[in-house]
Amino acid sequence: MVVGFAIVAAWELVTAVGVVAFRKPMYNALSLVANMLGLAVLFLMLNAQFLFAAQIIVYAGAVMVLFVFIIALMNPEADISFIPRGTEWIYGVVFGVIFAALLGALLFNRGLTGRPGAFTPEVIAATGNVQTIGILLYTRFLFPVEVTSVLLLIAAVGAVYLAMRRIR
Amino acid sequence: MPVPASTFLLLSAVLFTLGAIGFMVRRNPLVVFMCIELMLNAVNLAFAAMSRYLNSLDGVVFAFLVITVAAAEVVVGIAIIVQVYRAGRQMDVDELDLMKE
Repeated sequence: MVVGFAIVAAWELVTAVGVVAFRKPMYNALSLVANMLGLAVLFLMLNAQFLFAAQIIVYAGAVMVLFVFIIALMNPEADISFIPRGTEWIYGVVFGVIFAALLGALLFNRGLTGRPGAFTPEVIAATGNVQTIGILLYTRFLFPVEVTSVLLLIAAVGAVYLAMRRIR
Repeated sequence: MPVPASTFLLLSAVLFTLGAIGFMVRRNPLVVFMCIELMLNAVNLAFAAMSRYLNSLDGVVFAFLVITVAAAEVVVGIAIIVQVYRAGRQMDVDELDLMKE
């Protein structure tokens, strides 16, 4: 378990650096696919089988296919911009380091507190992971689900509208 | 569960930071979008880890909602990028000042 986690975590870090550092957008997209598949494995380790399936279908399947298609369609020739013109990128790196330090300080100074819920692995295993989440989605989380469905509708309408008109 | 929760959270924090750095350093709008996806994924990992270690499914449900919102966001964002590209603009977020005119 620990060895598996270490391997997948290293995989995640390497592919995440690939997403940021590769120069060709297609390579960025492919390492993002690899990153998302590794994340799906992590979800499986965390006993979230439903998230595992959703991650692979929605992200690695739908979203990344969209990215790859758009890159192939537009063929933006070599994004040489990783080495930027000015020195603005230093701000980005400095921000990143400070941000990581803040997150680390939070993680190590505050204990991970929280009230444990009722869904122990045994309870979930009794009804099944997907069934339990499905019941929760349509009872306790009905309102967020409805709001999300409206959001999806608006996004679809907006995408169709944007596809129809031309910016001059 | 031999892997402690804070390890998952640490990995999530590092992934989020990498995404944030990429968001600010890169200039291709498509790559900027990918970095946003990286950050959302890192948050999902934190959600899943906390819901596993607190014996609660709320985190899993919200991670699912985050995945949905990310899909919607990518659709609209890519539609806008394609429109800008069709209009013959450069693929560079520093050069995009359409809204100023």
